[in-house]
Amino acid sequence: MSNQANSMNKGLTVKDLVTTGIFTALVFVFVLVGGIFFAPNPVLTFFMPAGSGLLTGPVFLLMIAKVQKRWSLSILGVVICMIWFVTGMHWAFALGYLMMAVVADFVAGARQYKSKELNSLAYILFSLGGTGSYIVFFADPNGWAQTMLGNGTEQSYIDTMQATANTGILIAMFAAAIITSAISAFVGCKMLKKQFEKAGITA
Amino acid sequence: MIEFENVSFSYTGQEHDGLRGINLRISDGECVLFCGRSGCGKTTITRLVNGLIPQFYQGELQGRVLVDGQEISNLPMYQIAAKVGSVFQNPRTQFFNVDTDSEIAFGIENEARPSQELIKRVEQTSEDLRIQKLRNRNIFELSGGEKQKIAFASVYAMNPQIYLLDEPSSNLDMTSILELREHLRLIKKQGKTVLIAEHRLYYLMELADRIVYLEKGEIKGIYTPEEFQQLSEQERERMGLRAVDLRAVFPPKTCSLAPIPVLELRNVTLRYKKRTILHDINLSAGKGEVIGVVGHNGAGKTTFSRALCGLHKDSDGQFLWESKLMERKTRLKRSYMVMQDVNYELFAESVEAECSFGIRNPDQTLVNATLEELGLSPYRERHPNTLSGGQKQRVAVAVSMICGKDLLVFDEPTSGLDFDSMTQVAGLIHRLSDIGKIIFVVTHDFEFVCRTCSRVLHFDEGEMPDDVPVTMDALPKLRELFSVSDGKER
Amino acid sequence: MSGERQKKGLWLDPRAKLLLILICVLASMFAPSLTYQFVLVVLIAVLGAFFGKWKYVLKAVCFYAVICVLTVWIMAEMTGTLRTMFIAFLGLFHKVYACGTLAGIVLTTTKVNEFLSGMNRAHAPKKLVIPLAVMLRYIPTIQEDWHYIKDAMRMRDVSPSLAGFLAHPGMMVECIYVPLMMAASKAADELSIASVTRGIENPHPRTCLVQIKCGAADWGAMAVAVSFLIFELCVRGGVIG
Repeated sequence: MSNQANSMNKGLTVKDLVTTGIFTALVFVFVLVGGIFFAPNPVLTFFMPAGSGLLTGPVFLLMIAKVQKRWSLSILGVVICMIWFVTGMHWAFALGYLMMAVVADFVAGARQYKSKELNSLAYILFSLGGTGSYIVFFADPNGWAQTMLGNGTEQSYIDTMQATANTGILIAMFAAAIITSAISAFVGCKMLKKQFEKAGITA
Repeated sequence: MIEFENVSFSYTGQEHDGLRGINLRISDGECVLFCGRSGCGKTTITRLVNGLIPQFYQGELQGRVLVDGQEISNLPMYQIAAKVGSVFQNPRTQFFNVDTDSEIAFGIENEARPSQELIKRVEQTSEDLRIQKLRNRNIFELSGGEKQKIAFASVYAMNPQIYLLDEPSSNLDMTSILELREHLRLIKKQGKTVLIAEHRLYYLMELADRIVYLEKGEIKGIYTPEEFQQLSEQERERMGLRAVDLRAVFPPKTCSLAPIPVLELRNVTLRYKKRTILHDINLSAGKGEVIGVVGHNGAGKTTFSRALCGLHKDSDGQFLWESKLMERKTRLKRSYMVMQDVNYELFAESVEAECSFGIRNPDQTLVNATLEELGLSPYRERHPNTLSGGQKQRVAVAVSMICGKDLLVFDEPTSGLDFDSMTQVAGLIHRLSDIGKIIFVVTHDFEFVCRTCSRVLHFDEGEMPDDVPVTMDALPKLRELFSVSDGKER
Repeated sequence: MSGERQKKGLWLDPRAKLLLILICVLASMFAPSLTYQFVLVVLIAVLGAFFGKWKYVLKAVCFYAVICVLTVWIMAEMTGTLRTMFIAFLGLFHKVYACGTLAGIVLTTTKVNEFLSGMNRAHAPKKLVIPLAVMLRYIPTIQEDWHYIKDAMRMRDVSPSLAGFLAHPGMMVECIYVPLMMAASKAADELSIASVTRGIENPHPRTCLVQIKCGAADWGAMAVAVSFLIFELCVRGGVIG
């Protein structure tokens, strides 16, 4: 135990950085696999964050359990943001993940990354990062559609956007993302206890 | 010079692998081989020299380890790295880059050498080690042996005074082992100090200056290769060591009668991504037969085993079981592969749960009986990941027995195993053969083949040119297949 | 991003490529109309053609043309919630398409080591470069691992598919995560050992075997990109047209 307290002070070691890198790769792959089914579908596109959130929980929680240090999650955010950016994703999507990863880092860090509840909450927040581009859409639907409609944005469009149905979609998107990532975090906690802690691969 | 002064070490929360009262002095230019059973502490010795203890592995350390008069535990890792180069067992997890050139340069890049020198060193390294044809390649396309060469090259480029190799041959085939030996010969000629911890001893006999035998963390004997080779077979096996000279390993004298064929392959052709891997394979095998499978990398051994197990789709020809046609799905039900990295096929949280995993109504008495038979009962509550390699393998075999599989494929079952574990696997295979399973063993291990197999299939250039019985009569052919004949003459 | 031999064609500095992507994101963001988006895609296609990726860019442009026509039709014909959904979706699609096409070109023409060298030259801190390099190196490993795990699942009579997942979700979860996480955690240990024993902790900044430099082609490509962006902004601001 004394060893661990010691390394806590030293900041991130090479092992922590390598672990972060490996788990970032896994997070990236799982987010991609979970979302790819929804993203190219006009009707389901809003549930892409939910799909991504469903798979990644166990990976995210195991990474926290392995590293247990400040900045690891933020680094994950930066790297994932860069990869989304380089692969041509929408900027708000990339930025959303970056911001929420930093937020998640601080939330989980509030209890030294040891509280399963806070870690789960951190995960739920992180997976909301995927809603970034949709938030941009809801914040300014005119700007969003301007390219397609030309300069004359029709009144009818603005009307529909303000109709309740759209707020419904917004709420549904968040609710779905929170529910799926909560499920995923729950499964992740279960697996940590049942498998990974017993197998001795957590820090 | 490397000095161990009364060194004792024990890992935190772990009983085995520790060291007790080690005193040893290794002079410059010496090549020392450390051997002994798994858990005897030979890997720990290498970790003391390259600084992984105490910097990476925590535990209780007493005594001092000095390299050129400096105490290792006081030096930062990067300074040790400049003196001591390390090559490890698993080629898959040793590389940091995706392409070979950058990987060779990895160490010297860390040393912050100017770019002109980097280029020159990489050139020089690939020339010295004759790996020009591996330059500028994607590492993921390389075989295990080639990856290991790149790992060695990366250390070689740093030009350390001391080389440490921790079971470097575990995942290598016969040819790669001989090439590794050439590389070792080269660095020895350059006057480097070489420390090797290893189970396979035969390829090191004319390189080693001293052989240190460890038992339970203590040095139990230091031999010259001559003295070592004089040890009788019984003596050596009692020490838990593998063969020293493969030319002294022979197949059994008697040949068992060929059983009635049960499995039959007729004109089987296998393709992968539209490329033909193997064509027109004809073969029959009876219950209880143990069949070795050999061939170079890329000769189609993996595709063949996957096809046998019904995992490979793109195939022509017929697979018959008791003269009845076996579709892919049927083969999948009937067969089981024990993978080289057995971790991929262990899913459950305990050994016991693993045995009934995915079975709707598990037969608890069968599970208990199987665990008992394979000596796994004491571990039934343990997580499979906490077991040793040999034990994990036995768990996978237990699963196959409980699922009632008739055809088993073992992929490199002896990689990284010491003599005791090897004989245990051999015993296990004999037992499986006695209860009428058909067993295929993909392996490069000549000693193991002589102990277990009744015949050997050889794949080459998309064909199966040889189907050799493992008997004294076929010895020359067997030696040729396992590159044993040139095991010593060079 | 592969380690394959450099194919014939144009070579650009990875830093220039990153800048091109950035400009592309901005250009998509500020595009005044679909026409400009289309021109942007065509410009990217020209760049792709310089790299020798004829087939890829031809397909990309044709596909985009179809989508543009479709967009115009949807905007004219649809109403209600369905229309909102399409606007959201197509809006995202148009904003992302150009960048995605460019990313496709960039990713297939940049080697991982060039990219890392670029990071190095840009003096990115080690704490960022190490995880990034490890991540890029580990993605193909996940693919290999998954291949083995699928085999293992099939032999246990668990079908590695969506149907299999719905039939036994609990079992499937263990089959996927347990071996992957065990392998990842083992790889983390062994990879850190392999890098520590080769001196990655050296406080001096690393040097790099691959040397990248910014040449005429890079400046040319960037100049074109920047002028397009400025033109767009002017149009948007009402300075022109």
